[in-house]
Amino acid sequence: MKLLEFKLLTDEAQLDILYKTGVYIGKRKLKGKTILLYQADSFYVEVFYKKYRYYIEDIRFSESTDMLDPYLEQIHVEHLVE
Amino acid sequence: MTKSTEPKNIVLYADDDMDDLELVSDAFHRYAKNVEIITVKDGSQALAYLKNLGEDDPAPCLIILDINMHMISGKDVLSRIRQMDRFESIPVVLFTTSSLPQDAAFAKRYDAGFVTKPLDYGQMEYITGQFIDHCTEEIQRNIRRRS
Repeated sequence: MKLLEFKLLTDEAQLDILYKTGVYIGKRKLKGKTILLYQADSFYVEVFYKKYRYYIEDIRFSESTDMLDPYLEQIHVEHLVE
Repeated sequence: MTKSTEPKNIVLYADDDMDDLELVSDAFHRYAKNVEIITVKDGSQALAYLKNLGEDDPAPCLIILDINMHMISGKDVLSRIRQMDRFESIPVVLFTTSSLPQDAAFAKRYDAGFVTKPLDYGQMEYITGQFIDHCTEEIQRNIRRRS
């Protein structure tokens, strides 16, 4: 699925796709709020929580890998070089 | 009239993510009358808890394991649990951010459930039901009675 198609879906349908096929990448905190990053096909989706995994405040998308930057420290790559 | 105090059903949950520990504990709150949830912060603590149970101590009715834990992964804990005589057939669920088919296949190979962590609370309520569905029928009835 392309980002444009994903954007046209309802929030509920977007979450359903993320839940079933999204690849979890990481989690970060910002001003007390929790944000989760998923990859869906060729783009990234950030889910902003009002309350962690309870109430979603916002969903943001990007095809740019810039979205990965705040999460890079948390990605363990040791197994790739073993 | 004496009120009988039946022991609660124990659910053991291992996860190194404090937010997820809180999330699952909250989700089981509606069953608090019948369920005691014991949370541990890594796989080694889960194994230690099981190894230290005395013969007369009640075993958990369900074990929930995060896959990606530091030190010992949920998958390693699961395979070790299956080597323990007392727990070789205890209900276990891998509760994970992964939706990878190979992780689901691993769970199946070790006779465990596989549940992806939710994105919102609507899913969490459903998932709590899925957790309970992994328990034996008697335990399921016990947990759901007047909860």
